[in-house]
Amino acid sequence: MRTLACALTVLCLAGPSSAQPRDGVPAMKPPLAATPASAAARAGEARTITWEALVPADWDPFKDFKGLDFQLLDDGDPRANAMLKKMRKAWDDAPVNPALVGQLVRIPGFVVPLEDGKEGLREFLLVPYFGACIHSPPPPANQIIHVLPRTPAKGLRSMDTVWISGVLATGRSDTYMGASSYRIEATQVTPYKEPAR
Amino acid sequence: MSALLAIAARSAWNRRGTLVLVMLSIALATALLLSLERLRSDIRSSFAQSVSGTDLIVGARTGPVQLMLYAVFRVGGATQGIRMDSVRAVAAHRAVAWTVPIALGDSHRGHPVLGTTTDYFTRFAYGDRQPLALAQGRAFAGTLDGLYEAVLGAEVAQRLGYRLGQRITLSHGLGAAPGEAGGDHADKPFTVVGVLARTGTPVDRTVHVSLQAIEAIHLDWAGGAPLPGMSIAPEHARKFDLEPKQVTAVLVGLKNRVAVFNVQRFVADYEAEPLLAVLPGVALDELWSVIGLGERALLAMSGLVALVSLASLVAVVLAGLNERRRELAVLRAVGAGPRHVLVLLAAEGALVTLLGALTGAAAAAVAVVATGPWVQQRFGLTLQAAAPSAEQWALFGAVLLAGMLASLVPGWRAYRLSLADGLTPRT
Repeated sequence: MRTLACALTVLCLAGPSSAQPRDGVPAMKPPLAATPASAAARAGEARTITWEALVPADWDPFKDFKGLDFQLLDDGDPRANAMLKKMRKAWDDAPVNPALVGQLVRIPGFVVPLEDGKEGLREFLLVPYFGACIHSPPPPANQIIHVLPRTPAKGLRSMDTVWISGVLATGRSDTYMGASSYRIEATQVTPYKEPAR
Repeated sequence: MSALLAIAARSAWNRRGTLVLVMLSIALATALLLSLERLRSDIRSSFAQSVSGTDLIVGARTGPVQLMLYAVFRVGGATQGIRMDSVRAVAAHRAVAWTVPIALGDSHRGHPVLGTTTDYFTRFAYGDRQPLALAQGRAFAGTLDGLYEAVLGAEVAQRLGYRLGQRITLSHGLGAAPGEAGGDHADKPFTVVGVLARTGTPVDRTVHVSLQAIEAIHLDWAGGAPLPGMSIAPEHARKFDLEPKQVTAVLVGLKNRVAVFNVQRFVADYEAEPLLAVLPGVALDELWSVIGLGERALLAMSGLVALVSLASLVAVVLAGLNERRRELAVLRAVGAGPRHVLVLLAAEGALVTLLGALTGAAAAAVAVVATGPWVQQRFGLTLQAAAPSAEQWALFGAVLLAGMLASLVPGWRAYRLSLADGLTPRT
């Protein structure tokens, strides 16, 4: 039941009335610092974006939960479980940010390998925080990027941090989570370095 | 300069006995370094090549590495099976495109037997998403008529000399012992109907049968051993319910790979049975982080061996200085400067290192070619007799550089010796 407790806490904290920003899913704050988008907006150059930018500004995952007082629910309450499932679904169907699709972007993240070959990684998922696959509920669909490097990326392991750049596209819409997921045919995959301050 | 090199070579030829020994020790060290590097990278790539296109492997709750090891590499065993209805529940998840259940635990003369469905032959892929291909015959039918049909991996067929139509019996458990040990399924022989093309993966060492066949050969094994007085004839077995109740693991393919975490979470939270789902790539990396330590220790050891051989090079050339006092003094007397003596000795060391390193590289290449088939057969590991990799070049270069630097030591010593020192006769 710890998951439920955590999730509900997150919900309470992130309710529209709280001081948290509304545009992102609060639990998904990227620990990796990305330089602001305005830094390099020249034509032909990849725009550096943050993970928050992948969530459309007007999307509110909590709109269905308004007016609920979570304090009144116990962990074992079937209504709480039902709500958790509903919340999970809302996150699974999190929409993509249409403003970013088709843009040349650059974003840092952690690598989850999918296809490893002789020449290196041919397919991987990029996620915003370490351990995204195991320890916490999976990130919402719009916080995962399916990366297909142009040339296989050599020497990468699970949870290595990289910068990738390429044109952001959406997944095939006929599959589960397809319409709400991103994919990039990355032209560049480079090891992450702390931005200079 | 070339005159000096010629002098160095001829002088070294005069003392070829010890120098050849030193050269051999450098050759051995180089061969060790290079073949270790080759082995390391080949093991890695052969592991990474073993499974492709499978998004998740689902099994009973153990460790991710263990699940990966037994489901893909047939190393170790499962702690528990998973129920067939759990398999169906995973297959029914809306993100799942296909599932291929596998059942392990039996063997044929030391080769693991894999019970699976016919989907295995179309879904399972290795390397760069290459599907399995049949070299001869066909896949098993997966029907009751074709209940006792087996498809062999390339290695099994080659090693045991089996052809299509061969009758084989499976053994219970993983031992290589034939029938006498008692753990045999000799009453229900299988017919080889197909042989797979070589893949360079554990598939080559596997005997594939249908899940129903696995059920059938265990019908009369209800108590963990053949029950006395209760044997079921092969043809009667078809009348029983042969739908598998339990399998060892399931390979899962997804419609969209982004959903992998959701399905993983679904499997982990599955309430009817404790299950575990691993991403093959992540589990492999976990395995490497463990093996990596041993790998680095081995590489460090062979680096030390190289250092020791170079130290012996220095020692031999230094010791040779004493007997060469006269020779060097004569050279000095006919007009060679101290610089020339330095070059002479450094060239000798470099020459020995170069010859040693070249011999070592050649030996490493020969060793890979010569032991390749044996290693493939014994460990299922394909050694590539390919051009040296960047890492191998780097190691080769490091040995050469270290050898040249080391030869400067005796060179420096000779440089400091005075002319008079060599010409003064000692009593």
